[in-house]
Amino acid sequence: MRSRTALRMVLHDRSSTAGALLGVVAIVFLVGQQLSLLFGLLNYMSVLVDHSGADAWVMSANLRNADAGSLVSGRYIDRIIGLPEVEWVEPVLIGNGLFRTTDGSFEPVRVVGTRRPRLAGGPWQFAQASERSLLDLESVTVDRLDLAKLGNPAVDLVTEIGGRRVRVRAVTDGARGFQGTLVFGSLDKIKEIARTPPGRYSAILVRFKDRADPQAMARLRAALPGCSVYRTEELSRLTRTYYLRNTGIGGSFGFSTVIAVLIGVVIISLTMYASVLGRARDFAVMRAIGGRRRDIAVVVVSEALIISGVGVFVGFLMLATLLNATRGSAIPSFFPGFVTPALATGTVLVSFLGSSIALRVALKADPASVFH
Amino acid sequence: MVTLKLEGIAKDFSDGRQLRRVLFPVDAEFVPEELTVLSGPSGSGKTTLLSIMGLVLRPSAGRMFLDGEEVTTLTDNQAAKIRLQRYGFVFQQPMLIEGLSVLENILLAFAVQGGRPPAGARQKAADLLQTLGLGDSIQVQPRLLSGGMKQRASIARALIKDPAILLCDEPTSALDAESGQAVMRILKRIAIDEARIVVVVSHDARVFPYADRLLKIENGAIVSDTREQVAASGEPQR
Repeated sequence: MRSRTALRMVLHDRSSTAGALLGVVAIVFLVGQQLSLLFGLLNYMSVLVDHSGADAWVMSANLRNADAGSLVSGRYIDRIIGLPEVEWVEPVLIGNGLFRTTDGSFEPVRVVGTRRPRLAGGPWQFAQASERSLLDLESVTVDRLDLAKLGNPAVDLVTEIGGRRVRVRAVTDGARGFQGTLVFGSLDKIKEIARTPPGRYSAILVRFKDRADPQAMARLRAALPGCSVYRTEELSRLTRTYYLRNTGIGGSFGFSTVIAVLIGVVIISLTMYASVLGRARDFAVMRAIGGRRRDIAVVVVSEALIISGVGVFVGFLMLATLLNATRGSAIPSFFPGFVTPALATGTVLVSFLGSSIALRVALKADPASVFH
Repeated sequence: MVTLKLEGIAKDFSDGRQLRRVLFPVDAEFVPEELTVLSGPSGSGKTTLLSIMGLVLRPSAGRMFLDGEEVTTLTDNQAAKIRLQRYGFVFQQPMLIEGLSVLENILLAFAVQGGRPPAGARQKAADLLQTLGLGDSIQVQPRLLSGGMKQRASIARALIKDPAILLCDEPTSALDAESGQAVMRILKRIAIDEARIVVVVSHDARVFPYADRLLKIENGAIVSDTREQVAASGEPQR
């Protein structure tokens, strides 16, 4: 009966219910949108590492992130392949170049060279053509999201990057890096574009025969004392952490998230406070006819629960609509599975926090006041 | 048979600087089958006395006994439990909870401490509303009722649990003469036919003919207790 009373009050006090709902929806929608943007950017930060298909990355010593290594010697490849735990080894070359667009202007691109035929560290999803079309020496990819920026190059268009002739042979889907447009090509072509010294690479990718073997990584590290050797997931985490801490992205998103939560809490607090003030006489009546303080608390908490439940539902509905609308667009967005229950739980807790002032007022309802 | 006995009940209020006595020691006993009217001018202390009798206000001095058990020193929760089980209240304003239908308002008196109203409560509420002339208003929202109808609904809320003690604070003051008479007739019938303690606070002289006992309070003290005179006046109606 107490929760039913709470439901009736919520339905009856439409304006305050709408206000509190707005607060909850604001928290879910604004924080959810911020988080999807943050996780989208996090994906961009380590996109090459995450999609490499390798178990370990060998890069130059004293590495701070996957994009900031100097070149490593190709001689390590022979040393690595000699380890019994290793299944394959592939070099990757990452550099920069200027892409000549169809209107003759230039766009800076991040070029990634991979070795044929495995193309490890190469593109992973295609909108047009496939990785087979990259087996030619001068073939390169462009990404679907960058087509407009690059002058909408058609497949088989011949153009140049860094003054070297290339042919667009495939269009990737979602291959974007934190540092901009990603163009994949053959190791030899990228070597020409990036003008790197012969026999040196940005990274060496390693796949173990037994990916769960804990000794394999230790043996690899022992064999390469002058290099940084990371598990793929370690390098991904290192890179993300580096960008979060050193670019201000973490602080910026944290700040905007806190602001969104604060706005929601203030809205919830004020509207529920006003609602409870308006109901002060009813709570006093409930106390007079035999209600205890805890019964009043149950009613107010039930109200907060109903409002936060509906608000979370509406907020996620709006968020899902936004994420669907921006899916496949240039806006980075990604919503990991664990975020939904975490955000819902957090929002409900914050709603309770917002209703705590109202609860304190409600608990002060004096049964004697009904006799005046 | 339920009894409510007051021994030297007094009440002081503080305005932050000084203590002011608003109710001087009162000794009284209330028994069933009697409609008692507490009368007196505004500010005389009658509502304070009613609040103490209803266990919603603690006395500053004195003792109160319900069926011989002292109830003066109960905790908040113990007092709430007794109010729930043994008391019914009719307030000056009907004070029905907006958003709840008339029926839900009445059932809330059963289940304000949680749980569901007992089986048969719904039917009992419907019967009660029928008796009080509100048979067609069971599912109606309180805002759609007239003042008299609301007050009758609040009487139904007070009576649904068959309380031994019914305390009414100016139940007719917000009503027109006809509605006021109807409410008093109901209260009188409850006191006599259902053998309950019914105490009505009022300074409305139109209420006095219904009283079996008239307690007059002035300046915080009982100045007259006229059970026989009222009964002898021949006016009380049933």
